[in-house]
Amino acid sequence: MTETSDIKPKIYQQTFLAGLWRENPVFRLLLGMCPTLAVTAALKPALTMGLCVIFVLVCSNIVVSLMRNLLKPHLRILMFTLTISTFVTIADLFLKAYVPKMSEALGPYVPLIIVNCIIICRAEACASKNNLAVSIIDALGMGLGFTFTLCVLGAIRELLSTGKIFEIQMMPGAFVPWAALSMPVGAFLTLGLLLGLVNQITKTRS
Amino acid sequence: MLKIKHFIQQSWLLIVAAFCFGLLIAVTDAALSPKIQQNKINKLNDLAATLLPQAKDFIPVKLELEINSLQGKKQKITVYKALSKKDKCIGWSFNTSGPGFADKIELVIAVDSNFKALAGFDCLATNETPGFGDQIKNDYYQNQFKGASAEGLTLTKTGDPEKIDEEIVAITGATVSSQAVVSIINNSLIQIKQQLQQHGLIGNDRNQ
Repeated sequence: MTETSDIKPKIYQQTFLAGLWRENPVFRLLLGMCPTLAVTAALKPALTMGLCVIFVLVCSNIVVSLMRNLLKPHLRILMFTLTISTFVTIADLFLKAYVPKMSEALGPYVPLIIVNCIIICRAEACASKNNLAVSIIDALGMGLGFTFTLCVLGAIRELLSTGKIFEIQMMPGAFVPWAALSMPVGAFLTLGLLLGLVNQITKTRS
Repeated sequence: MLKIKHFIQQSWLLIVAAFCFGLLIAVTDAALSPKIQQNKINKLNDLAATLLPQAKDFIPVKLELEINSLQGKKQKITVYKALSKKDKCIGWSFNTSGPGFADKIELVIAVDSNFKALAGFDCLATNETPGFGDQIKNDYYQNQFKGASAEGLTLTKTGDPEKIDEEIVAITGATVSSQAVVSIINNSLIQIKQQLQQHGLIGNDRNQ
């Protein structure tokens, strides 16, 4: 009994931390590249996208975990998509109602969360095989890992392309903004450099 | 009969889930749609109010106006009549859209009471290239339209942007976006003016 209760917190901790670094969806699994490249021109949209993904990931993992014993193998992907699209639609409606400007800035990328590989991957790899607690913790870890990555990219690109972060001037007046970083080319460059950095850190550690 | 039984056995969860999720979306939509609609009206009114600051109220014209868009499709337009404090018509505003360089550009356009001069335009939605095409949102480009002729604008690559006439000076490095705005404005103004004239709302001094 004591052994089981000792193992459980360890599993929860490992599951949560995996999403943050070891299995980070962007840096390690290279999933969800579309929003990663498209909405990270500034920190605010990156953070909003991250929070939307956390909401959808947690809700879909809860539903999938609860019905995991009822799922027919050949219909499971259909069920996952149905579940995910429901929560994405709800998140989209909330953004349109309460943060309309951000909803416009994010454009089609909120509805596109439906086809975000991270969510369907977690539903398939974790929620459909584990209990509710593990599924929720996995969703939180993966969601936070994704949000953190998006925020890092967004902060770097916003700082270098405008000299500001959250519309607060951070760079000295003499700084010449690198407008290219707010364009798609800037997204690919920043992501590529960060992936290289993460790989280098991992290599040095091992 | 066996086939139906097999079908239900296989798909009952999908049918129940689709029903429950559909209900959830319907409830959320019913709860939030008034707020979403209000947000759209507020945005349009805010933009129109900045273009026609003397206006006290914007009343939608109860006419089904339809124009041919630049892509050759029919586009329904709601025209708003701008009223002053004394309920006098001081202008008109409407939103329209057309193709830009990167994506569709949605504009709010305001004109004076007899469609002779533009009060200005603003962008409702645009995905033009940052640093280039998105300068159509900047004052120095938009100010050229304030007071410009509403009877046909032309785009020029050189000229004085501060001079208000029918010539609009293009943004350097974003000629396509600059031309897109001019074309959208020209295309919609001519057709809406004609239709309002046909309905006797302008051109006969009734509302001036």
